Amino acid sequence: MVVKCSNLVKIYHAAEDFRALDEVSVHIKQGEFVSIMGPSGCGKSTLLNTLGLLDEPDRGEYFLNGIPTAKMTDNDRSKTRRENIGFIFQSFNLMPKLSVLENIALPMRYTDTPRRDILPRARELAVRVGLESKLNNTPLQLSGGQCQRVACARALANRPALILADEPTGNLDSKASRDILGLLQELNQNGMTIIMVTHDPKIAESTHRIIRMKDGKII
Amino acid sequence: MKLPDLISTGWTEIRSHKMRSFLSFFAIAIGIATFFYTLSVLSQRYRDIHRSAVISGIGRIDVTTEHPLDMTQYNTLKEMLPEHTSLSFAPRSFYYEQFTYKNKKVGGFSYGGIMPTWKDSSFAYRLEGRFINWQDIANKNRVVLLTVYPNEKEKRELEEYVWNDENEPEKTIKMTELTSHVNLLNQQIIFNNETFTVIGLLHSLEAKKDPRFRQDREWSPRIYIPYTTFYDVQPGWREEFTTAIRIITGNESTTRMAASAVTSFLRSQFGIDEKPQPEFFREKIKERIKDARADLNKMLFLGLIAMIAGGIGIMNVTMAVIFSRTKEIGVRRALGATRGDILAQFLVEAMLLGLCGSLAGMLLGYLAVLHMAADTSQMTFSWWVVALSILIALVTSFLFALYPAWQASKLRPVDALKYE
Repeated sequence: MVVKCSNLVKIYHAAEDFRALDEVSVHIKQGEFVSIMGPSGCGKSTLLNTLGLLDEPDRGEYFLNGIPTAKMTDNDRSKTRRENIGFIFQSFNLMPKLSVLENIALPMRYTDTPRRDILPRARELAVRVGLESKLNNTPLQLSGGQCQRVACARALANRPALILADEPTGNLDSKASRDILGLLQELNQNGMTIIMVTHDPKIAESTHRIIRMKDGKII
Repeated sequence: MKLPDLISTGWTEIRSHKMRSFLSFFAIAIGIATFFYTLSVLSQRYRDIHRSAVISGIGRIDVTTEHPLDMTQYNTLKEMLPEHTSLSFAPRSFYYEQFTYKNKKVGGFSYGGIMPTWKDSSFAYRLEGRFINWQDIANKNRVVLLTVYPNEKEKRELEEYVWNDENEPEKTIKMTELTSHVNLLNQQIIFNNETFTVIGLLHSLEAKKDPRFRQDREWSPRIYIPYTTFYDVQPGWREEFTTAIRIITGNESTTRMAASAVTSFLRSQFGIDEKPQPEFFREKIKERIKDARADLNKMLFLGLIAMIAGGIGIMNVTMAVIFSRTKEIGVRRALGATRGDILAQFLVEAMLLGLCGSLAGMLLGYLAVLHMAADTSQMTFSWWVVALSILIALVTSFLFALYPAWQASKLRPVDALKYE
């Protein structure tokens, strides 16, 4: 089991307490491609952030690759993120001043990967996502679809066990969306576990399983 | 993240925001320029003081009297002083005199009588020929030493306008012009209607190599004759003459005793109205160190103020940078950056700005030293001043960027990612 969480609760304390996650339990096996759907504010991004160790639940248990995350220090969480999780964001979140190659290489800069191995690996990933001709371009010189491909390659840089994609096609036209979905499916076919938040039912239908959420609960 | 990657990231950011970067390192540059200037000038002063102290000898005392002193008096005083003390009498005139060389009048120098022991302290010449010896003193020999100042400009002038100027045969040549043009060693000159042989040339060292403290240097051209000859060629002791008595005891502890001996001696010789004021070289050195310290403190205070201003500039810029790059911080954290990585990233970036500021500051400081410091000909730049300037800039940038960088590292990844 790559992801095993039980009874996750996340409460945002504002004028009125808001339960973003309300006793959420999710189990995701190795090699699964799971989509999370639901209306805005239902807690899908909170769940994704929690699974990605970007946020901590107030209650509940979360095991990533069988390792309990509850007592992890901030450094442990960073280390776990860089070694086990690849993120793909809706707005790509690439570094605008870095080239395609450097953007893909960025996660490796935070690991012990020898410097001489970083750029060859980044180049290899760029080829894999079909951007071998854009290595020296900056994100501003790329289309949305190409940017998301860079983000996909960057997510794969440290060979993670899990990819978390937060509406990866949300900012793309239909053709680019299909391309990205195709890329994710290809990764999944190669054994990668993927959890994807999406609003698009068609895209969700192409995954193995759909988790539907409402008001912080899985329905 | 490894240091080369941190530097590369920081450098990319600095290059991407040239104006912002320039403004922040400019303030640092001003501070460093002040430090660099101050440290360079004052380290040179300390070096001067040290070299001056070394060459002057331990336990040096200078006393000046307006009376002539003969060899009997020399021996009497010598008896009163501690063993192994070097004693020198040097009567001198401060007025410019003239001698004749090959029918040309040569002026622009003053003269004095000296003893062989004159050479024991603050002697910073390259001697060509020989020095005055005790035989010259005993026999009142007509021998002379000339100071020589290297001066290309005067050499040319002498050649072009003076030496060959037949229209003005009576024109007086300056001694510096003559000595820079003609080697007078073993030549004869007519001084005070007597013929003197030039036995030695005292070549002045370049200002940079002159170990004496600036105030101790003889700037005016001089000729030196044996101390006894000085009295002999004079029709009488003139009012403007003085005799410089120099005592080097070779030991700090005996200077007071020697000073008291010379005071008693002068009073015994010239009456109770004689009020000699022995100058202790050690005290002079202490005074100079005190002055240098006071100047150092003043300038360092100004430098410190400038550095604080520069540091605040760095802090302001770092805060603005963090504010504008909050989302980037979130992304980096999502990709696996630790708090330490984020902290290091902003600190390295600020320190790079500090480094640029220190380089610009040192350039400004260097120009300031060249154009503003008195007697720049003898300024030498030390690597430790360069290293210290860089270190000050790096430490200032580090300290002032620490708080904003710490704040950045404390951002929760999820909050930073939501920031637009």
